[in-house]
Amino acid sequence: MAQTQLAILFTSAALVVIGLYSAIFIDNIIKKIIGISFIEEGANLFIVAIGYKPGGVVPILMPGMDTSWFATNAAYPLPFGLVLTSIVIGASTLAVMLALVMVLYRRYGTLSTSVMLADTSKQEEYDE
Amino acid sequence: MKLYDQIFNVVKQFKKLFSPGPVTNADVSGSITAEIFIIVSLVLAALLLRHVSVLLAGLVTLILAVVLISNIPLIPKFKIEQEDSLEKMLFYAVITLAIIVTFIYWGGNLV
Amino acid sequence: MNELIPLMVIVPLMAALLISAFSKFNKATKVFAFVVALCLPVIPIASHYGLHYFGGYAPVMDNVTNVMYHPAITYSFTFLQQIFIAMLGLLTFLVVFIYLTKYKKVSGPYLFLLFLGTAAVTAMLLTDDIFHMFVFFEILALAQVGIVAASSIDYSYEMALKYMVLGSIGSPMMLLGIGFLLALTGSVNVTDIAAAVHNGLVDATSPVFLLSLGLIFFGWLYASGLPPFHTIKSGIYSKAEPHGAALLQSFTVVSMISIVLIMFRIYSSLPIFEVLVVFFSILAMILGVSLALTQTDFRRMIGFLAVGELGFIGLGIGLGTQYAITAGLFQALNEIIITALLFIGFGAIVNATDEVDTRKLGGLLAYHPKVSIMLLIAGLAMAGVPPLSGFQSKLMLVQASLNCGFPEISILAIMVSIATFVVFVKTYYTMFLKPKPNELELEKKEVPRTMIFAMGVLLIIVILLGVFPDIVTAGISNFVGGIL
Repeated sequence: MAQTQLAILFTSAALVVIGLYSAIFIDNIIKKIIGISFIEEGANLFIVAIGYKPGGVVPILMPGMDTSWFATNAAYPLPFGLVLTSIVIGASTLAVMLALVMVLYRRYGTLSTSVMLADTSKQEEYDE
Repeated sequence: MKLYDQIFNVVKQFKKLFSPGPVTNADVSGSITAEIFIIVSLVLAALLLRHVSVLLAGLVTLILAVVLISNIPLIPKFKIEQEDSLEKMLFYAVITLAIIVTFIYWGGNLV
Repeated sequence: MNELIPLMVIVPLMAALLISAFSKFNKATKVFAFVVALCLPVIPIASHYGLHYFGGYAPVMDNVTNVMYHPAITYSFTFLQQIFIAMLGLLTFLVVFIYLTKYKKVSGPYLFLLFLGTAAVTAMLLTDDIFHMFVFFEILALAQVGIVAASSIDYSYEMALKYMVLGSIGSPMMLLGIGFLLALTGSVNVTDIAAAVHNGLVDATSPVFLLSLGLIFFGWLYASGLPPFHTIKSGIYSKAEPHGAALLQSFTVVSMISIVLIMFRIYSSLPIFEVLVVFFSILAMILGVSLALTQTDFRRMIGFLAVGELGFIGLGIGLGTQYAITAGLFQALNEIIITALLFIGFGAIVNATDEVDTRKLGGLLAYHPKVSIMLLIAGLAMAGVPPLSGFQSKLMLVQASLNCGFPEISILAIMVSIATFVVFVKTYYTMFLKPKPNELELEKKEVPRTMIFAMGVLLIIVILLGVFPDIVTAGISNFVGGIL
């Protein structure tokens, strides 16, 4: 049903907005990263929703299937392929971010963004 | 004399820009150049509005010139807004995203 | 010999994987990295122009609607790609060469990142598939973060994390925009999308299409470091090793032009696209140069200058005529070379003095005359002094904006050039000409000979392009005529 697609689209929009909210307003870096990864998931969910077809079948041509029936009834496979790639990239980006956070946590002993990622240009410019 | 005093004050305020550390001749003259450059170039860029409406361009240019000149020194304010802290960067990124999307969605066909 | 086209991406990618896997064999890794880096500029020069369809799926014609579809990921290789990939390969070779001679024990992962970035940028430039471009755009962001984090400069991890956090807002927005385009056209091939838009199959005034422009445009701002991302972009340049920064800025410039050319092909029918590009370019020019004037750290200063110069490229694209786009792309090529030269040259100074604050430096002309003369010429080229290459492209841009009826933009461009000149003269004076401060200890350190060699090679190209700009502009102009 088209309501399913609409619900998915609303969910993805909500994910993006929550992500943008957390990017500005949350101070804890881990929470901020979790929130930011919502944006990525929202975008992925949106692309999945594009390929949705009410009453469609899985886009795999099994032996014995009628080709013209398959062509009219199969869901659009391209978005799923794209999202798979995008999820892998998102996961690796997340891993690198969290690894950097681990290093910085050991150095600063805090997860607060305003301490860890504050303006550093003044200290380093003229240290004796 | 008043303008002279104001400009002298500007130079004094540049000292804060470079603290800690000494303030050299070259740095201050660079900052004054940046100050003048920013005023002139923003006013000049505002002139581009004449392709939309000549009256609007005249008004915006005059107002911008008065506001910018009466608010010197601008460079310390600009620099504080564009420092390296993640909060400021994220704030401006999200604001820009909001402005672009709003502007394009509702005004995209007007241009 | 179209088999060489995918090899431009595959060779650095495979080299990156092999080097990182076998990095414990130090000597073999060094030789292998050197040979691969030497191959990089040679492959595009030896290859013929043409198209490459991955998997061999040639375009199919739909007999009912008479529309051509491209089922495969397509690489298109023309003069523009050739010149940019060759220049990128040359730069990668020089940077890898500097790196290999600087350290006795080389780090496999660092070489991996250098080659990975080159492969990603090459793929972005070649591809005709917008999602393929997005994938390599993300890989490029990872490589850039790695190059920054691998440097031993203070606060490099912080800067890398900031870049990454901002990137995880910028790139999903671009993905959303691509999703909108996919929803509208059912394809991710740029040629197909552009054909659908220009044939009227997609309503160019529909809000969804406009929204996709806004979102991809935001991703482009992040990729190219135009405002509001100019602070982070100059930040990562200043936190990378100098030779790494030389490569990073070339990645930025190439990814900027590859994305903007794709956007131009899809959205050129919308006037608002050109307005947006010109607006952000002017903002980048003003903010970049005025912030560069107030910096005391000279690496940060070149970083801001590099961002300011990006505005010129955007200006050329935004004006939208054949002459203007040619000028913009020529400026992009010049900027890659000149900024790399500046980064390597100032990197040599960091190497020799261990100092980045201009207030603590001085009198270096007597100690490093070769470096200072080459830096002087590079700075003049960046400011647009004849007969160097920067002059030719900036003159073309000024003429193009006059022809389009925007004299204000011409004046602005000239003013920015003058301000660039002021930045450079100020820095040059404080570093090389003013008397040496007493505290500054120059421990008879020599500048590595490979750095001098790299600067010499780049300087020859700068002068050559300044005297004979036609060898590049004629080919670029043909390419631009093809996409208009």
